[in-house]
Amino acid sequence: MKRATRRILGGVLAVTATAAVGALSRVPYAAEPSTYAVVRLAWRARGERVEECRRLTPAELERIPIHMRQAETCTGRILPYHLDARVDASPAVGEEVVPAGARRDRPLYVFRELTVTPGAHRLQVTFRISGTVARATPVHEQELDATPPALALDTVVTLASRDVLLVTYDGELRRLVVRRAVP
Amino acid sequence: MAQIAAALQNGTRRALTRADAFMDRLYGAPYNPLYHSGALVVALFLVVLVTGIYLLFFYHVGAPYASVAQLSDQVWLGRWIRGLHRYASDAAVVAALVHALRIFAHGRSWGPRTLAWVTGLLLLFVLLVCGWTGYVMVWDLQGQVLAQEGARLFDVLPIFSEPIGRAFVGERPLPGAFFFLNLFAHVALPIGLGLMVWVHVSRVARPGLLPPKRLLWGLVALLTVLAVVWPAPLALQADLFRLPGTGPFDVFYSFWLPLTRPISPGVVWAWFVAGGAFLVLVPLWTRPTPARRPAPSSVDERLCTGCEQCYLDCPYEAIAMVEREEPRPDGKPVARVNPDLCVSCGICAGSCAPMGVGPPGRTGRDQLAAMKAFVAARRPGPGDVVILACNRGAGGIATGERFANALVYPVSCAGSVHTSGIELLLRAGTGGVLVAACPPRDCWNREGPKWLEQRLYHEREAELRDRVERRRVAIAYAGAGRPDLVRDALVELRRTLSALDAATREAEIDVDRLCEPVPGEVA
Repeated sequence: MKRATRRILGGVLAVTATAAVGALSRVPYAAEPSTYAVVRLAWRARGERVEECRRLTPAELERIPIHMRQAETCTGRILPYHLDARVDASPAVGEEVVPAGARRDRPLYVFRELTVTPGAHRLQVTFRISGTVARATPVHEQELDATPPALALDTVVTLASRDVLLVTYDGELRRLVVRRAVP
Repeated sequence: MAQIAAALQNGTRRALTRADAFMDRLYGAPYNPLYHSGALVVALFLVVLVTGIYLLFFYHVGAPYASVAQLSDQVWLGRWIRGLHRYASDAAVVAALVHALRIFAHGRSWGPRTLAWVTGLLLLFVLLVCGWTGYVMVWDLQGQVLAQEGARLFDVLPIFSEPIGRAFVGERPLPGAFFFLNLFAHVALPIGLGLMVWVHVSRVARPGLLPPKRLLWGLVALLTVLAVVWPAPLALQADLFRLPGTGPFDVFYSFWLPLTRPISPGVVWAWFVAGGAFLVLVPLWTRPTPARRPAPSSVDERLCTGCEQCYLDCPYEAIAMVEREEPRPDGKPVARVNPDLCVSCGICAGSCAPMGVGPPGRTGRDQLAAMKAFVAARRPGPGDVVILACNRGAGGIATGERFANALVYPVSCAGSVHTSGIELLLRAGTGGVLVAACPPRDCWNREGPKWLEQRLYHEREAELRDRVERRRVAIAYAGAGRPDLVRDALVELRRTLSALDAATREAEIDVDRLCEPVPGEVA
């Protein structure tokens, strides 16, 4: 290969490789190719905290250092809730939402996305303390901050293609609300 | 698993040999970018660092997208510096992948090189994470998808007290603290990268961290032109109340999105762990069996003069000078090889004038014995050239007995050849010796060709003696796919030898006998 040919080919290759870097840096990608809309159920709820207390036996107290002895010990937890969602009267979600954390004493987190066709839909959402769990003693001083035992939303929403509608819990209003993009 | 790795290794090596040869022809070995892939990553990282500092002045965590958009509107500086920042980051990924492929294909990842391999993988991973934080900082369509997908993957791990995906549901505007954290990670990670580069090269002496200037500035110029002519794109602003549509995505940092989005996070992590384990364990898959594993060098303390040359020449800092157990009158120390650091390249064998160090069977003395046997068997004559061919590069000719009518003598590394061996061949009547080495920046053992040249022509310790006619010795630098370079060097050497032989014949003419005395002239 002659020197001039080498130089030309080398230049062409360098420019092509550089252009390839530029092209691969902007490849069109459809992250969500379909044209549906989404109803996003997402909130954080404190849930109702209950405590189960009992008196320690003398033997148990004996095992605890003197300066840490308390006559009563309490175990607290957040009650699980049941989430139920229907779109146009068809069940879309029906699940138990358990509190986060290894000891189940962290808040409840809800995050579900329901795909729906664009247009008007009736949306019914309920979020209530799970009936399967026996109620213990509520902690009164924390009850005011807690999510109410039952929340419900029944509304008709109209969604355009690719719209995302958020259903969330408003801590100040203490109810489920609908939020969407500001036009 | 080892068989799969071996098959992959062989295939990659063949492809790389062809690519090396092609690029060699176009750019020449000194500027072949494939040979400088590791140094190019460092150079591009520096470009990213410098351009990043400029961009930092204009970035606002309170209005990320608006500030980047404002930067892109700066026609004179902001736009092309942002483009250069982005394209240099992209090119860094390409160079890092090429570098990793080369190390894998050449089997340079096991033994003492394991640390470099593992830290190299970590560097690549951190580079990708760094890019991830950079794109989230922009907070355009791509940033939104990367952030949401990252949150989806991380939320299955029990490491966060609250699911981080909640930040992206649209319940409330993303706080500035989120972008500040991203910015912090984007700035802190490169500092970590710098430290990791130090660990990455900690086991090699004199690491070549930068490519040749022409290559470096040529690359910077090309990327700058690209940034000016084709500015980095900026997609639509992220909108958590709209499904992300089609937008320009950077393949180098977002290539994983189409792979992970359709599958559950648990499966993604399983693939990630399995793939990561396969890559981290490459040194295990690719190392030779114990029987075929080359033994590390050792020192014959009776012969060691304490000159320190092997200590200076070792490319892996595997040799230390230590006090002798029985001190010598001159108080000089003795060389000691650390077998955990020695890759058995044999370069110390070529550096030791008294031939007291080297891998078993490849010390200077062993080389002389083997060459004597070679001379006895092949009987090279004055018309012959012997090629001492590196069996890893050198045009791939080391496997044959002859090449272009010259005798081939394979060596493990041109840098390990002891100059006394060359002298022996010439004294035995060989017309000339051609040492066929790898290109200097692609030596399997690092620095072999450099030390060889200095020993032959620049009187580096263990040098070729003055009494040897240097015009009968030549070096050819050729990658495994360039036998033509060895052939060209051979032609050149033969031409020199012919001229030398002609001159020698002339010198042998008995002038007194052939010339008639001029009458009356007094002798």
